[in-house]
Amino acid sequence: MRIFFCGVGALGSTTAVLCRNLPAELAFADHDRVESKNLLAQAYTRQAVGRNKAEALKLQLHNFHGVKAEAFPVRLEETNIATVAGSADLLVDCLDNAPGRLLVSAYARETGTPLVHAGLSGDGMFGLVRWDERFTPDAADRPGQPTCEGGEHLPLIGLVCATLARVIQDHLADGIRRDAMVTLTGVRTTAEGETGGL
Amino acid sequence: MATLNITYDGRSGDLPGTIERSLTDDDIRTLAVEVVRTGAIPGLHVPDLPPNAFRHFVVDRFGGGRVYLRPKVPFGA
Repeated sequence: MRIFFCGVGALGSTTAVLCRNLPAELAFADHDRVESKNLLAQAYTRQAVGRNKAEALKLQLHNFHGVKAEAFPVRLEETNIATVAGSADLLVDCLDNAPGRLLVSAYARETGTPLVHAGLSGDGMFGLVRWDERFTPDAADRPGQPTCEGGEHLPLIGLVCATLARVIQDHLADGIRRDAMVTLTGVRTTAEGETGGL
Repeated sequence: MATLNITYDGRSGDLPGTIERSLTDDDIRTLAVEVVRTGAIPGLHVPDLPPNAFRHFVVDRFGGGRVYLRPKVPFGA
Protein backbone atom coordinates (compact mmCIF):
# COMPACT_ATOMS: atom_id res chain seq x y z
CA MET A 1 0.00 0.00 0.00
CA ARG A 2 1.41 3.34 -1.06
CA ILE A 3 -0.25 6.58 0.06
CA PHE A 4 0.61 9.54 -2.11
CA PHE A 5 0.07 13.05 -0.70
CA CYS A 6 -0.51 15.76 -3.30
CA GLY A 7 0.58 18.90 -1.48
CA VAL A 8 2.16 18.93 1.98
CA GLY A 9 1.27 22.34 3.34
CA ALA A 10 -0.81 22.64 6.51
CA LEU A 11 -3.23 19.80 5.79
CA GLY A 12 -0.87 17.48 3.94
CA SER A 13 2.11 17.73 6.29
CA THR A 14 0.08 17.38 9.49
CA THR A 15 -1.98 14.50 8.13
CA ALA A 16 1.13 12.70 6.94
CA VAL A 17 2.60 12.84 10.45
CA LEU A 18 -0.64 11.32 11.78
CA CYS A 19 -0.40 8.55 9.17
CA ARG A 20 3.13 7.54 10.17
CA ASN A 21 1.98 4.38 11.94
CA LEU A 22 -0.11 3.02 9.09
CA PRO A 23 0.98 -0.15 7.29
CA ALA A 24 1.81 1.82 4.17
CA GLU A 25 4.58 3.61 2.34
CA LEU A 26 4.18 7.38 2.33
CA ALA A 27 5.09 9.60 -0.60
CA PHE A 28 4.85 13.37 -0.95
CA ALA A 29 4.76 15.78 -3.87
CA ASP A 30 5.11 19.53 -3.41
CA HIS A 31 7.07 22.14 -5.36
CA ASP A 32 7.00 24.75 -2.61
CA ARG A 33 9.66 25.59 -0.02
CA VAL A 34 9.20 25.95 3.72
CA GLU A 35 9.06 29.58 4.85
CA SER A 36 9.28 30.88 8.41
CA LYS A 37 5.59 31.83 8.36
CA ASN A 38 4.69 28.20 7.55
CA LEU A 39 5.94 27.06 10.95
CA LEU A 40 2.80 28.54 12.54
CA ALA A 41 0.40 26.13 10.86
CA GLN A 42 2.39 23.37 9.18
CA ALA A 43 4.24 20.37 10.59
CA TYR A 44 7.69 21.76 9.86
CA THR A 45 10.43 22.69 12.29
CA ARG A 46 12.73 25.70 12.07
CA GLN A 47 15.51 23.56 10.60
CA ALA A 48 13.29 22.93 7.56
CA VAL A 49 13.08 26.58 6.50
CA GLY A 50 14.41 26.92 2.98
CA ARG A 51 14.01 23.26 2.10
CA ASN A 52 11.50 21.87 -0.34
CA LYS A 53 8.42 20.82 1.64
CA ALA A 54 8.29 17.25 0.32
CA GLU A 55 11.98 16.75 1.05
CA ALA A 56 11.70 18.40 4.47
CA LEU A 57 8.77 16.20 5.50
CA LYS A 58 10.59 13.07 4.35
CA LEU A 59 13.63 14.12 6.40
CA GLN A 60 11.60 14.93 9.51
CA LEU A 61 9.70 11.63 9.43
CA HIS A 62 12.97 9.77 9.18
CA ASN A 63 14.82 11.77 11.84
CA PHE A 64 12.04 12.04 14.40
CA HIS A 65 10.06 8.84 13.86
CA GLY A 66 12.27 6.47 11.91
CA VAL A 67 9.74 6.37 9.11
CA LYS A 68 10.96 6.16 5.54
CA ALA A 69 9.10 8.07 2.88
CA GLU A 70 9.63 9.24 -0.67
CA ALA A 71 9.68 12.86 -1.80
CA PHE A 72 8.96 14.44 -5.17
CA PRO A 73 9.93 18.13 -5.15
CA VAL A 74 7.84 18.99 -8.17
CA ARG A 75 4.61 20.72 -9.09
CA LEU A 76 2.13 18.10 -10.25
CA GLU A 77 1.27 18.68 -13.88
CA GLU A 78 -0.44 16.81 -16.67
CA THR A 79 2.95 15.91 -18.10
CA ASN A 80 4.36 14.33 -14.93
CA ILE A 81 1.54 13.08 -12.74
CA ALA A 82 1.48 9.59 -14.24
CA THR A 83 5.20 9.22 -13.59
CA VAL A 84 5.27 10.79 -10.14
CA ALA A 85 2.06 9.27 -8.75
CA GLY A 86 2.01 6.17 -10.91
CA SER A 87 2.61 3.69 -8.12
CA ALA A 88 0.06 5.16 -5.72
CA ASP A 89 -2.62 2.92 -4.24
CA LEU A 90 -4.32 5.87 -2.57
CA LEU A 91 -4.14 9.54 -3.48
CA VAL A 92 -4.64 12.26 -0.87
CA ASP A 93 -5.34 15.73 -2.24
CA CYS A 94 -4.30 18.57 0.06
CA LEU A 95 -3.61 21.14 -2.65
CA ASP A 96 -4.63 24.77 -2.36
CA ASN A 97 -5.98 25.45 -5.82
CA ALA A 98 -8.85 24.17 -7.95
CA PRO A 99 -6.82 23.47 -11.13
CA GLY A 100 -4.45 21.24 -9.18
CA ARG A 101 -7.32 19.40 -7.54
CA LEU A 102 -8.97 18.88 -10.93
CA LEU A 103 -5.73 17.48 -12.34
CA VAL A 104 -5.42 14.95 -9.53
CA SER A 105 -9.10 14.09 -9.80
CA ALA A 106 -8.85 13.48 -13.56
CA TYR A 107 -5.82 11.25 -13.05
CA ALA A 108 -7.55 9.27 -10.29
CA ARG A 109 -10.66 8.72 -12.40
CA GLU A 110 -8.61 7.74 -15.44
CA THR A 111 -6.57 5.18 -13.51
CA GLY A 112 -9.21 4.05 -11.04
CA THR A 113 -7.04 5.09 -8.08
CA PRO A 114 -8.96 5.94 -4.88
CA LEU A 115 -8.68 9.64 -4.06
CA VAL A 116 -9.72 11.55 -0.96
CA HIS A 117 -9.72 15.36 -0.82
CA ALA A 118 -9.40 17.73 2.11
CA GLY A 119 -9.94 21.48 2.17
CA LEU A 120 -10.35 24.46 4.46
CA SER A 121 -12.51 27.53 4.22
CA GLY A 122 -10.73 30.86 3.95
CA ASP A 123 -11.82 31.98 7.41
CA GLY A 124 -10.41 28.83 9.01
CA MET A 125 -13.77 27.93 10.55
CA PHE A 126 -14.72 24.91 8.44
CA GLY A 127 -13.06 21.91 6.84
CA LEU A 128 -14.18 19.17 4.53
CA VAL A 129 -12.95 15.62 3.89
CA ARG A 130 -14.61 14.04 0.90
CA TRP A 131 -13.93 11.18 -1.52
CA ASP A 132 -13.51 12.02 -5.15
CA GLU A 133 -16.80 10.55 -6.38
CA ARG A 134 -18.67 13.19 -4.37
CA PHE A 135 -16.18 16.05 -4.67
CA THR A 136 -16.20 19.20 -6.76
CA PRO A 137 -13.33 21.67 -6.19
CA ASP A 138 -14.32 25.07 -4.83
CA ALA A 139 -12.67 28.16 -6.24
CA ALA A 140 -11.56 30.97 -3.95
CA ASP A 141 -14.19 33.66 -3.45
CA ARG A 142 -11.83 36.20 -4.92
CA PRO A 143 -8.24 36.24 -6.23
CA GLY A 144 -5.73 36.62 -3.45
CA GLN A 145 -8.17 35.57 -0.73
CA PRO A 146 -6.23 35.03 2.50
CA THR A 147 -5.52 31.40 3.30
CA CYS A 148 -5.13 29.79 6.71
CA GLU A 149 -1.41 30.49 7.05
CA GLY A 150 -1.69 32.18 10.42
CA GLY A 151 -1.39 30.12 13.57
CA GLU A 152 -4.84 31.17 14.76
CA HIS A 153 -6.43 28.41 12.70
CA LEU A 154 -4.17 25.63 13.96
CA PRO A 155 -6.84 23.98 16.17
CA LEU A 156 -9.19 23.52 13.21
CA ILE A 157 -6.34 22.41 10.97
CA GLY A 158 -5.50 19.80 13.60
CA LEU A 159 -9.09 18.58 13.70
CA VAL A 160 -9.35 18.32 9.92
CA CYS A 161 -6.03 16.48 9.71
CA ALA A 162 -6.97 14.05 12.48
CA THR A 163 -10.26 13.40 10.69
CA LEU A 164 -8.52 12.86 7.37
CA ALA A 165 -5.98 10.51 8.95
CA ARG A 166 -8.80 8.47 10.50
CA VAL A 167 -10.66 8.38 7.17
CA ILE A 168 -7.49 7.04 5.54
CA GLN A 169 -6.99 4.55 8.36
CA ASP A 170 -10.56 3.25 8.00
CA HIS A 171 -10.18 2.98 4.25
CA LEU A 172 -7.01 0.92 4.62
CA ALA A 173 -8.69 -1.33 7.18
CA ASP A 174 -11.93 -2.15 5.41
CA GLY A 175 -12.25 -0.10 2.24
CA ILE A 176 -14.92 2.26 3.58
CA ARG A 177 -15.00 5.75 2.10
CA ARG A 178 -16.28 8.05 4.82
CA ASP A 179 -16.75 11.78 4.25
CA ALA A 180 -16.63 14.36 7.02
CA MET A 181 -17.55 17.99 7.69
CA VAL A 182 -15.44 19.59 10.40
CA THR A 183 -16.03 22.63 12.61
CA LEU A 184 -14.58 23.48 15.99
CA THR A 185 -17.82 22.26 17.56
CA GLY A 186 -17.72 18.80 16.02
CA VAL A 187 -16.98 16.37 13.25
CA ARG A 188 -19.94 15.16 11.25
CA THR A 189 -19.07 11.97 9.41
CA THR A 190 -20.92 10.46 6.51
CA ALA A 191 -20.33 7.11 4.86
CA GLU A 192 -20.78 6.67 1.13
CA GLY A 193 -22.74 9.94 1.04
CA GLU A 194 -25.19 8.96 3.78
CA THR A 195 -25.44 10.73 7.09
CA GLY A 196 -23.79 9.01 10.01
CA GLY A 197 -23.20 9.82 13.65
CA LEU A 198 -20.72 12.23 15.07
CA MET B 1 -38.36 16.63 0.72
CA ALA B 2 -34.99 17.03 2.39
CA THR B 3 -33.35 18.11 5.62
CA LEU B 4 -31.29 21.29 5.34
CA ASN B 5 -28.02 21.54 7.26
CA ILE B 6 -26.33 24.93 7.49
CA THR B 7 -22.73 25.58 8.54
CA TYR B 8 -21.87 29.19 9.32
CA ASP B 9 -19.13 30.85 11.35
CA GLY B 10 -17.87 27.56 12.76
CA ARG B 11 -21.30 26.33 13.83
CA SER B 12 -23.55 23.79 12.18
CA GLY B 13 -27.12 22.63 12.60
CA ASP B 14 -30.17 21.11 10.92
CA LEU B 15 -33.30 23.10 10.17
CA PRO B 16 -36.17 21.31 11.95
CA GLY B 17 -38.61 19.91 9.44
CA THR B 18 -37.95 19.53 5.76
CA ILE B 19 -37.55 21.66 2.65
CA GLU B 20 -38.56 21.02 -0.94
CA ARG B 21 -35.73 19.36 -2.84
CA SER B 22 -36.75 21.39 -5.87
CA LEU B 23 -35.55 24.65 -4.29
CA THR B 24 -32.77 26.26 -6.29
CA ASP B 25 -29.39 27.00 -4.74
CA ASP B 26 -30.28 30.71 -4.57
CA ASP B 27 -33.63 29.85 -2.94
CA ILE B 28 -31.73 27.91 -0.28
CA ARG B 29 -29.29 30.76 0.33
CA THR B 30 -32.19 33.18 0.76
CA LEU B 31 -34.06 30.80 3.04
CA ALA B 32 -30.91 30.24 5.09
CA VAL B 33 -30.57 33.95 5.87
CA GLU B 34 -34.11 34.01 7.22
CA VAL B 35 -33.84 30.90 9.37
CA VAL B 36 -30.48 31.87 10.84
CA ARG B 37 -31.76 35.39 11.62
CA THR B 38 -34.85 34.02 13.35
CA GLY B 39 -33.01 31.33 15.28
CA ALA B 40 -34.96 28.48 13.72
CA ILE B 41 -31.86 26.31 13.82
CA PRO B 42 -30.86 25.37 17.37
CA GLY B 43 -27.43 26.76 18.21
CA LEU B 44 -27.22 28.89 15.08
CA HIS B 45 -28.90 32.24 15.77
CA VAL B 46 -27.45 35.40 14.24
CA PRO B 47 -30.09 38.18 14.38
CA ASP B 48 -28.03 40.71 12.42
CA LEU B 49 -26.87 38.33 9.70
CA PRO B 50 -26.09 40.28 6.50
CA PRO B 51 -28.44 39.52 3.57
CA ASN B 52 -25.54 38.32 1.43
CA ALA B 53 -23.94 36.15 4.13
CA PHE B 54 -24.26 32.98 2.07
CA ARG B 55 -23.45 34.49 -1.32
CA HIS B 56 -20.28 32.42 -1.74
CA PHE B 57 -21.55 29.30 0.02
CA VAL B 58 -21.92 25.92 -1.70
CA VAL B 59 -25.09 23.82 -1.78
CA ASP B 60 -24.39 20.08 -1.67
CA ARG B 61 -27.25 17.68 -2.45
CA PHE B 62 -26.81 14.04 -1.54
CA GLY B 63 -28.94 10.95 -1.41
CA GLY B 64 -30.62 10.19 1.87
CA GLY B 65 -32.66 13.39 1.78
CA ARG B 66 -30.04 15.83 2.97
CA VAL B 67 -28.98 19.20 1.62
CA TYR B 68 -25.92 20.99 3.01
CA LEU B 69 -25.18 24.70 2.80
CA ARG B 70 -21.51 25.19 3.63
CA PRO B 71 -18.56 27.54 3.11
CA LYS B 72 -16.25 26.91 0.19
CA VAL B 73 -13.11 24.95 1.02
CA PRO B 74 -10.54 26.01 -1.57
CA PHE B 75 -7.48 25.78 0.64
CA GLY B 76 -5.09 23.06 1.66
CA ALA B 77 -3.07 25.88 3.17
